[in-house]
Amino acid sequence: MNRRSFLTASAAALAATALSPDLLHAAAASAGGWTLAVADVEADIPRQTLRRLHGRAPVDLSGTLFRNGPAKFHRPGGSAGHWFDGDGMVRAFRVNEGQATLTARFLDTNKRRVDSAAGAVVTPGFGTPTGKGAQVASNDDVNPSNISVMQAGGEMWALWETGSPMVFDPVTLETKGLHTFRPDLAHMPFLAHPRVEPNGRVWNLGLFGKQAIVWRLAPGGSLEAAEPIELPRASYIHDFTATERHLVIVLQPWVQDHFAMPYMNSLTWKPELGTQILVVDKADFSQRRIFDAPPFFFFHLGDAWEEADGAIRFDAAMDVDASFATVGAVGIIQGKDIRGADPQLGLISLKPNGSVDITRAGLVGEFPRTDPRFAGANRRHTVHLTKGARDRPLMQAVAVTDWKTQKTDIHDFGPSQVVEEMVFVPRPGSSAEFDGWLMGTSINLLAGKTELHLFDARRVSAGPLASWQADVPLPVTFHGVFVPS
Amino acid sequence: MTTRRMKTAALFLSIATLHGLAMAALPLDVAHAQEAPAAASLTITFQGITKASGEIRGQLFSSEASYGGKGEAVTVFAIPVTGASVSVTVPGLAPGQYAVKAFHDVDGDGKMGANPFGMPTEPYAFSNNAKGAFGPAPWSAAAFEVAPGEAAHAITID
Repeated sequence: MNRRSFLTASAAALAATALSPDLLHAAAASAGGWTLAVADVEADIPRQTLRRLHGRAPVDLSGTLFRNGPAKFHRPGGSAGHWFDGDGMVRAFRVNEGQATLTARFLDTNKRRVDSAAGAVVTPGFGTPTGKGAQVASNDDVNPSNISVMQAGGEMWALWETGSPMVFDPVTLETKGLHTFRPDLAHMPFLAHPRVEPNGRVWNLGLFGKQAIVWRLAPGGSLEAAEPIELPRASYIHDFTATERHLVIVLQPWVQDHFAMPYMNSLTWKPELGTQILVVDKADFSQRRIFDAPPFFFFHLGDAWEEADGAIRFDAAMDVDASFATVGAVGIIQGKDIRGADPQLGLISLKPNGSVDITRAGLVGEFPRTDPRFAGANRRHTVHLTKGARDRPLMQAVAVTDWKTQKTDIHDFGPSQVVEEMVFVPRPGSSAEFDGWLMGTSINLLAGKTELHLFDARRVSAGPLASWQADVPLPVTFHGVFVPS
Repeated sequence: MTTRRMKTAALFLSIATLHGLAMAALPLDVAHAQEAPAAASLTITFQGITKASGEIRGQLFSSEASYGGKGEAVTVFAIPVTGASVSVTVPGLAPGQYAVKAFHDVDGDGKMGANPFGMPTEPYAFSNNAKGAFGPAPWSAAAFEVAPGEAAHAITID
């Protein structure tokens, strides 16, 4: 074939390619499109040194940012039906003496084994129906271990929300197996958002309709107590919060009122019910109070605190309804950007007289995180994500909102990046709130690579102090923790 | 974030069936003799046991109907767990299709353990190492052939 006919044939092939929807999505992903942020990873990533793009890491920063999120959605015989149903993959970004490395490894779950063997996503999930060949003997058989991570003594745990933590090795990231707190509590649910007191004690919930169990763990993760409490309604609960003295359980009007598969089909949005906020005394669960608030949908809350007058305050990323959960997060792994209202960051105040005030920061906000040394204590700063412009899918900007001044400091990475949750890392030896750094990752859509960024937590609008780049793109993660060396 | 709202323990796994195993633990040397001339015996081995305590409690069924709860089991057994592998031999069987449901009664309390939300906490298994989805393995997956003579079947449990 001569050069002219080769070029003609290539042009014809390209034209044919452009007509296929699957290949259009792949082309969009490869040409800097946002779908790279939810693209499959096929294999574990052995440890690699990240390339420093600019800046310098502080000399006293040494430790590992562990993050988790779904990283495999599509199989030849059938794909996951929801973003939340991808196979969990933990990532370790280690920073020491200015160098950064990345290791990433899939959790070895029953779900991943069964789906791999079947060549299809047959394991049921949040939005995935049960396929032929599914093997489900307990809720842990559908556990994708894909939402967050937690440090438990010398172990690391990958968390889902409706099953057991999955233990993995902090260095190799190798899966060690499911964690059972006590034999009679096997397979009890454990949310992906435990609340860790500054002393290291862990509180968490496990939900089953209107029933809940309150977990209390000692620093290091051993079980101190697992006590049942009754809830006023069977809400979908992804997160809860706590002050030093109280648990704060927000019950949104997305309630399970019938049995249906997949899971999200069993929930109905009933705004007429409003939102109920249950405050429970940590020391005596019979001491409880319910506040009534306007209806809103939420995934995430910030740490709560109690004011001198007894008011309880906490921030929340509030949406108008459940449509992101039921529609947006379904479309996202099909390459469709189906937009709703976008969650807004607000501060909720539960007043001693029983009323509820909500102050809105006035911007899109999600993935709120705070200074862990101030968990449950009076505080003012929240780091969160926001959008650089409303027309962009996912999040591109990092923000720090100061509830005292009601001002937000923002760094926008621009439309070619999708940014992931930032966590606050205390500066060793410091004690003031937000004296430290923000550490988190993004996916650079144009370069097609995952990046790691470090900010001065008090000067986020100055942009990253340092950034590094991996040689691979990894789909965005949900949540992580920093573990100092 | 998924199908955690599973059916209650009563529906899941036919827990009633498994509780029934505990209530009717027969001595090992008693088996139901068949009306027809006995032409087979079956040795069922449970292997992969990780907790050396309690008993393996199970039932052997000779029909899809009885396996599904309509009819009696051929035999009910409770084997003390002494190691990683234990066996029971059932003599006097007619050759044909059979299936086994069993659980490891680790704490030896005679019943299937369940967590506060009704999920079984003790291991259980079916013949052919078959697994179900939100319930017992179906007969079609668990059934195996017992030929005339001495038959053997191994099930991994724990």
